[in-house]
Amino acid sequence: MKIKKILFPTKFRELSFNSLESLMELKAIGLKEVVLTYVIPRDEVAFVPFGGYMKDEEERLREQARIRFEDWQESISKHGIDSTIRIQVGNPIPKIMSIAEEEKVDMIVAGRKKRTALDKVYVGSHTLDLVRRSKIPVLISKYMVRFEWEGELITRVNDHIFTKPLLATDWSEPSEKALKLVSSFKGLADKVMVTHIIGVKISKNLDKSELKRIERESKERLGNYCDKLKNAGVKAESHLFSGRSSEEIIRVAREHKATMIIMGTTGKDRIRQLWLGSVSHRVAEASELPVLLVP
Amino acid sequence: MRFRKWITIIFLLSIFAFLVPAMASDHGVAATHDTEPGSTQGEHAVAATGHGDVPAGSESPVQGDKGHGGGHGAGHINLGEVLPLWSCIPFACMLLSIALFPLLAPKFWHHHFGKVSAFWAACISIPFLIVFKGAALYQIVHIILADYVPFIILLWALFTVSGGIMLKGTLRGTPVINTIMILIGTVLASWMGTTGAAMLMIRPFLKANNYRKNRTFMVVFFIFLVANIGGSLTPLGDPPLFLGFLHGVSFFWTMKILPHMLVTSGILLVIYFILDSYHYKKEGFSSAPVEEGEKEPLKLVGTHNFIFLGGVIGAVLMSGIVDWGQINTFGIHRAAQDWVRDGLLIVMGILSLLTTSKKIHEDNDFSWFPIIEVAYLFIGIFITMVPCLLILKAGLKGELSFLIAAVKEPFHYFWVTGALSGFLDNAPTYLTFFNTALGAFYPGMSEAQAVPLLMTETSIYLKAIAAGAVFFGSFSYIGNAPNFMVRSIAEEAGTPMPSFFGYILKFSLIYLLPTFVIVTLIFF
Repeated sequence: MKIKKILFPTKFRELSFNSLESLMELKAIGLKEVVLTYVIPRDEVAFVPFGGYMKDEEERLREQARIRFEDWQESISKHGIDSTIRIQVGNPIPKIMSIAEEEKVDMIVAGRKKRTALDKVYVGSHTLDLVRRSKIPVLISKYMVRFEWEGELITRVNDHIFTKPLLATDWSEPSEKALKLVSSFKGLADKVMVTHIIGVKISKNLDKSELKRIERESKERLGNYCDKLKNAGVKAESHLFSGRSSEEIIRVAREHKATMIIMGTTGKDRIRQLWLGSVSHRVAEASELPVLLVP
Repeated sequence: MRFRKWITIIFLLSIFAFLVPAMASDHGVAATHDTEPGSTQGEHAVAATGHGDVPAGSESPVQGDKGHGGGHGAGHINLGEVLPLWSCIPFACMLLSIALFPLLAPKFWHHHFGKVSAFWAACISIPFLIVFKGAALYQIVHIILADYVPFIILLWALFTVSGGIMLKGTLRGTPVINTIMILIGTVLASWMGTTGAAMLMIRPFLKANNYRKNRTFMVVFFIFLVANIGGSLTPLGDPPLFLGFLHGVSFFWTMKILPHMLVTSGILLVIYFILDSYHYKKEGFSSAPVEEGEKEPLKLVGTHNFIFLGGVIGAVLMSGIVDWGQINTFGIHRAAQDWVRDGLLIVMGILSLLTTSKKIHEDNDFSWFPIIEVAYLFIGIFITMVPCLLILKAGLKGELSFLIAAVKEPFHYFWVTGALSGFLDNAPTYLTFFNTALGAFYPGMSEAQAVPLLMTETSIYLKAIAAGAVFFGSFSYIGNAPNFMVRSIAEEAGTPMPSFFGYILKFSLIYLLPTFVIVTLIFF
């Protein structure tokens, strides 16, 4: 599972270009092309009340985007990576997904949402929708973030994000796919931390011997993961913890100075999602690190 | 900055213009304490029929008892008789904003239409409330609860349910197929609403004809028939007719416009077929070219939404048949079955959303924006319309007596309602002339008594108003809400559409006007 072509949709917010630049190091593992995408939201130009369609406005937005993208293309080409431009009008998330399918990309890069003082999450409902529905990995990029840690307000710049990724696994099929993806990080990642969290629901009602058995099995499986990574030429170390999965993953990532979190999506269907939520989505929302979710 | 200054000046002038004559007439009215004759009759009529509301223009007993109003006499005044003509200015300005802003400042309008609507609503409601207090509050709350809320709920339900149905597949448009498609849309319009039918059919229609060079006239005739004339047979079809239904016009009464609708759509369909055949031949086609790529069979997806559509029709029908008494909400008496209907419509819409896959909505390019626009604009229209309606209902005693006196014959109603509907959105225009007719023929009578008479002994006038409002809604882009939606979709798909004046000069004047003359000669 290699990353040769990525889709980079943008709204041209602050630090978008910086976010794009930080992905150039993927060239080390075979990145060849970036598809720069801007989707003009239909509601911006269509359905003028009792009017019509603002063709002029569409043209203006297209031209503005094209000029910016051409500037970005120059920078990307300096890294020896090709790029194409796609500018379309439509509903952003479905359009991004259809462009991703047409272009046959290996990964979609989504931006974080603009966080206000009241928000405690980095990811909006649209990005979560994309993550839920995408059949290819989605990297939620968070170039510059502010977060609270032990009473302190910290500003963090996530630039060399592939240096020390944390691979959080729950042994599911998406986790196996995430492992395959991380196996291609030879030459990119210095070390991969593989972690599994024994969830509270599992550990709560078990006796000591049963818990010991689960601990033993988990360590064994983590060992297998690390072996697979080492065989692929990627250094790895394992960590086993217990607790509330999403909180523990974020804590472990901070304590061990991970540069990003990679995990399989643990998403559910629309109705179960409403009630039960998802560990991967909660991590994506709450962590200050970029999160790569593999379906 | 200059723009804001002008807005402030207009706002202050309107308060001044409103307050001075209102205070002057307030002193005059305070001397009399006669009960408005209509109001007593209205209350009895409401109790008897259980349908319709306490008539606007008369005071609610609660308001009167509490002595609300601009003075101790305001509880007994007929507001329509004391309101100055200038109180209609915000209404006129609201409609002119809808007509002119999209032409002159589309970007500003697109981002600030809600504020403009709120501004005009405030221009009338604030001084109205200051002067007439409880009586004014009653009128505003009444029009919101009795007209606006059911109106927007029905539009939302139809919009949502229709948005879950999609026609998929490969279809190549020929004159015959196109005429059939427009005919199907025209038939559907009275049952799904003109917006619903237009949204369902426009994209397949455009896709079927994307190989054609001249597509402009196709979309214009689509607007004529599917987005307007087709919706003339039931209250579900077009907002003006639903407003009539809310004011006591029975559900199937509008079927009396069937002959008018058949003549109009018949003429326009024949013209369309001739035009399409002409252009088809001119473009060098003898048969539809085979489409490149895989041919997909025609398929309707989301068809379970027809069940919810049936639910919408059933709910509206039910509210016109049963009588479950009255419920008092904030002093407004609404029939219980009307609340049940509104609840059922909301349930239908929610069920449609929950059971229709996101993919269908996305493939349909479904967006809430058009209905949000309608919601914001029509609250402004309804609130600013209050004084105008009250004055009209006062008949010859109101400041619009000249209009009531001038509009006498059925064909007057058809053409005047039509002329204004074509340029000022047909829903408020219908209501304006509906009340003009009530004021002319049954001044001071409650709606519950007057409307049945308007449906029977003076039905030709109501037919003229209904037909004029619905048919003439096709006269310009601003005549009816789906017109601009269809235009937007067509332009986005690459079909060049005429400008506002181009539409009128090249299409409406040439094809619609003679057709409406024929309708006048035959029926009015």
